[in-house]
Amino acid sequence: MAVKLGMVIDAASCIDCKGCQAACKVANQVPDGHWRNWIKRGDEEKAALDRQGLRFQPGNCMQCDKPTCVAACPTGATYKEAKDGVVRIDRELCIGCGQCLAACPYQARYRHPQLRVADKCDFCAERRAAGLQPACVDTCPTKARVFGDLNDPDSPAGRLLRGKASVQVVNQQSNTDPNLYYLGDPGPADWPVQAKMPTPWQFWKSLGGPALEALVGLTGLGVIAMYGRQLILGDHDQPPEHASGHPEGGDHDQHA
Amino acid sequence: MFKRSFTLVIALAILAGSLGLALAGDGNARKGKYLFRKNCRACHLENGKAKDLSPMDLTQAQWQKTFADPSKLACKDEFAKLSKDDLNDIMTYMVEGAKDSPTPAKCK
Amino acid sequence: MASKQFMVSRRGFLKLGVGAAATATAGGLLKARPAGAQGGLKPGFESKFTVCDMCFNKCSAIARVGDGVVRKLDPNPKFLKSRGMLCAKGNAGLHQLYDPNRLKYPLLRVGERGQGQFRRISWSEALDLAAAKMGAIAKEYTRCGMLFMAGADMQSTFVHRFAEAFGSYNVISHESNCLLSNNRAFLDTFGEVPIPDVLNSKYILMAGANRFESLVTPDSIDLMTTLREHGCKLVVLDPRYTKTAALANEYHAIRPGTDLALMLALMHVLINEGLYDKQFVAEKTYGLEQLRTHVQSYSPEWAAGQTDIPAEAIRRMARELAAAAPAAMVYPGRRSSDYANSTQIRRGFAMVNALLGNWDRPGGLTAARVVGLKGGIPLEAPFYEDNPPERVDSGQARLMFEEEGSFKLTRDAALKGEPYPIKGFFAYHVNPMQTGANRRKTIAMLNQMDFVMVMDVAMTDTAWMADLVLPSQTYLERLDPASAQQGSSACACVVQRDPVAPAMFEAQPVFFVVQELAKRLELGEHFDFTVEEFRAAQLADLPDAPQALAEDGVYYNPSRLYGVYEGKIYKTKSHKIELFNQRYAEAGLDPMPVYTAPAQPPAGQFRLVVGRNALITQSSSTSNALLLQMQPDNDLWIHPDSAARLGVKAGQRVAVTSPAGQQVLTARVTHETRPDTVYMHTGFGVMSRELAAYGRGGCIAAVLVDAVDEISGNMAMHETFVQVAAA
Repeated sequence: MAVKLGMVIDAASCIDCKGCQAACKVANQVPDGHWRNWIKRGDEEKAALDRQGLRFQPGNCMQCDKPTCVAACPTGATYKEAKDGVVRIDRELCIGCGQCLAACPYQARYRHPQLRVADKCDFCAERRAAGLQPACVDTCPTKARVFGDLNDPDSPAGRLLRGKASVQVVNQQSNTDPNLYYLGDPGPADWPVQAKMPTPWQFWKSLGGPALEALVGLTGLGVIAMYGRQLILGDHDQPPEHASGHPEGGDHDQHA
Repeated sequence: MFKRSFTLVIALAILAGSLGLALAGDGNARKGKYLFRKNCRACHLENGKAKDLSPMDLTQAQWQKTFADPSKLACKDEFAKLSKDDLNDIMTYMVEGAKDSPTPAKCK
Repeated sequence: MASKQFMVSRRGFLKLGVGAAATATAGGLLKARPAGAQGGLKPGFESKFTVCDMCFNKCSAIARVGDGVVRKLDPNPKFLKSRGMLCAKGNAGLHQLYDPNRLKYPLLRVGERGQGQFRRISWSEALDLAAAKMGAIAKEYTRCGMLFMAGADMQSTFVHRFAEAFGSYNVISHESNCLLSNNRAFLDTFGEVPIPDVLNSKYILMAGANRFESLVTPDSIDLMTTLREHGCKLVVLDPRYTKTAALANEYHAIRPGTDLALMLALMHVLINEGLYDKQFVAEKTYGLEQLRTHVQSYSPEWAAGQTDIPAEAIRRMARELAAAAPAAMVYPGRRSSDYANSTQIRRGFAMVNALLGNWDRPGGLTAARVVGLKGGIPLEAPFYEDNPPERVDSGQARLMFEEEGSFKLTRDAALKGEPYPIKGFFAYHVNPMQTGANRRKTIAMLNQMDFVMVMDVAMTDTAWMADLVLPSQTYLERLDPASAQQGSSACACVVQRDPVAPAMFEAQPVFFVVQELAKRLELGEHFDFTVEEFRAAQLADLPDAPQALAEDGVYYNPSRLYGVYEGKIYKTKSHKIELFNQRYAEAGLDPMPVYTAPAQPPAGQFRLVVGRNALITQSSSTSNALLLQMQPDNDLWIHPDSAARLGVKAGQRVAVTSPAGQQVLTARVTHETRPDTVYMHTGFGVMSRELAAYGRGGCIAAVLVDAVDEISGNMAMHETFVQVAAA
């Protein structure tokens, strides 16, 4: 079976210390105000009132098996790596159109303000190439994030996945078959949004399917259209609901 | 001050026992530390002639006993060279930093 | 997989056409890596061991260095004390090294104190000036006229050494603004300060400690492991719904300042129901019968009225603790600079543990393990006959730690000029302007000095008040002495720090400063060695250590953890664990803690409590470029009912006023604090305009009142009542 890299996460072990977020920022030189990963939390006011406890949910790009971001990308810059299933972004091809941002149910992508390309977690491809674990996994104090080949029953992640009941966090309208699994109760589960696929693209696709897709790709029409959009809208082209991606990089004090 | 009243208790205990030197134990611990380093650490040193020594190595009672009757110590001749005041200062330093004291010495 | 192949070919096509127009940038880490290699890749970065300095925990870490630049800090998987982790602050460490605001050159004040006007001077000018000023102070006010203060740093030992050689006993650490009450209490009960064996504990009662936010290794990590894997029960008592509370099995919003009532009631149940460890208590403790009488009036029903915790819950906690004992504990905690009777409060914590018989046993409280590190090169400091007899803060707190002193009492003495004047101040890697309650008094103390010298990495608020500011190297640039660490069941170990990046600007280690000052003050003989030589002397008894440190970044001493007290005395007056403390009785202190209800806030006021989260190490982390993105300021936590009464809305600016001063910050209206309690994080509201956190949040030291723990001399910060009003 092919390698399928993923994470099995024990949300109950997460202490919301932000170690994973800090590690990721440094390892991947993520620009100020943007994040490749996050820790979601339940309703803390409710938790404080009813004292039923609170769960913290670490996450990042889920490297989905049915990636809407790949489908939404007009240039093929976003693709699913055949050898390990990681969804990657080819920065040379990305035109920064932002379609993939809206297409991601997890809002796992942001637009790099200097490079003007989409960016997101790639399980620290450079670190993996150097024989290191993804930075968030390596640094996690409670080892809530377990990384590995989900298809390998002997990998730490594969073992966990088979040993205990686990769930995916999905939006039922946009089930992308994510490769982040949560052991037991993942905490907040209703936050993924419905993927917004680019309208012209859907229209063309409805007309011609793969053949037209090829045609558009070959002619570069889609590319020009999207590139033009970016030029017009400049740096402020992110739809408001995605403007800050996952702003709760910070502590909850700021989000009362 | 607490420490002072406490050393007085020791002093009384020693006097009651009417032991040899009958040091009062009310000396100057800071000077005692200096005198200890100057006079004792020549030998009581890591890889020295005698065992490396710190106030923390003994209890208050053990230090009192040691100073009350140094006649069995290998360095009893060195003791004899020191004035009673100096010995009192050194004993005060050792007792105040003893392992069962309220403020055990931190390091050697 | 046809479509996938197609996609790839489309990519190949587009690469030709669009690729040139797109911006391509390689990621940071592997920039220096030889291109092309896949699998069996030789990394283009070097990996070097370091020891983190972003808080006091000193975690071993691995610096990934390429082209002489630290690209990433990773945890050292072989470092058991941290359980192979590196927290957010640890990851942010390279932003301290590359902080554009860091101190670069020696600076001499040119304007008024606190106005922030400095000019760059040379090191030789700075050192000549400092030596001359210190010499003049010694001459006019005795050598004890110089006050030294050094933080939790691996080179602070050299500052202490210098102070002793120079001849001043007035040396204080950060500790008297932090943890001394707890240390005092456990020392006066067990004869030493325990290391909790969290990993093997089955029941942990945590009062006032916030271990999942205020990280302590290995406790924070072990706590989660034992909760998840060993079925340990965690009960948290805190006026604030912390993340630790949120992750606990049981939480009670205890009324602040009433922890002792709870501890006395637990003892009441343990003794009256015969649940204490009878054999252990009979053999190893002193004063059970006195304690039995003492706790009779402290019933759970009585304690419920004090603590707001139901009596049945208190009774159940006592029974559950006893059932799990000896693998059960009242967690000792760390910062205890809370109340004027904090030592007695913490004595209550210690005594419950004694009744549980958990000392020296798995899952209980353990003694410090043997590490084997020596003190380094011995010092033979001169004796100065003209010095005053005692420390300037002596004779007030009944049981002050001579070697720690009291910041609060020293400051009071300096302000009065009694018993003698304090006219010089040398602070290294410590920032009492931010951490010492009642900032006005700290400013006044500094303003009455003839000479203030501060060495640090950044222009802290204390540096901002200095006459001479010296740039310190960061931990990533330094060669430091070895450090012994207690890691509970994880390890007893040694770490040391070697430079992983070239030193920047004109920054120097403090060793250089004290060595140069010593030369100028005819004390050179006391610093006639290198740091390497000092370290070699420290490691003299550990022949295997240098190789282990080189290969693993850590040396472990396989010393015993449990049962080390078998056949040994406890280091107390009775040579037993003291339920009844004889020395307290002799000194006129309560030999067993007597409960006094804390004063309640006057109508319309609140008790102010302070703390931090995993992104904050007081003020030393809040200007870090990465951490600032996650923790951009602090705010005032206030309960919705209280806010409504005051007409304060979430996000509104509020003035927080106490007798010590006023700060304005944003209201965070939340059920996560009690209606009678408001809360602030530490480390914000800085005065120094050279810090990135300038203009953000409020400063705790500017509103906290400076009460003092009467026994230990520790600062007591939670005795502060504040008014809150819309600003």
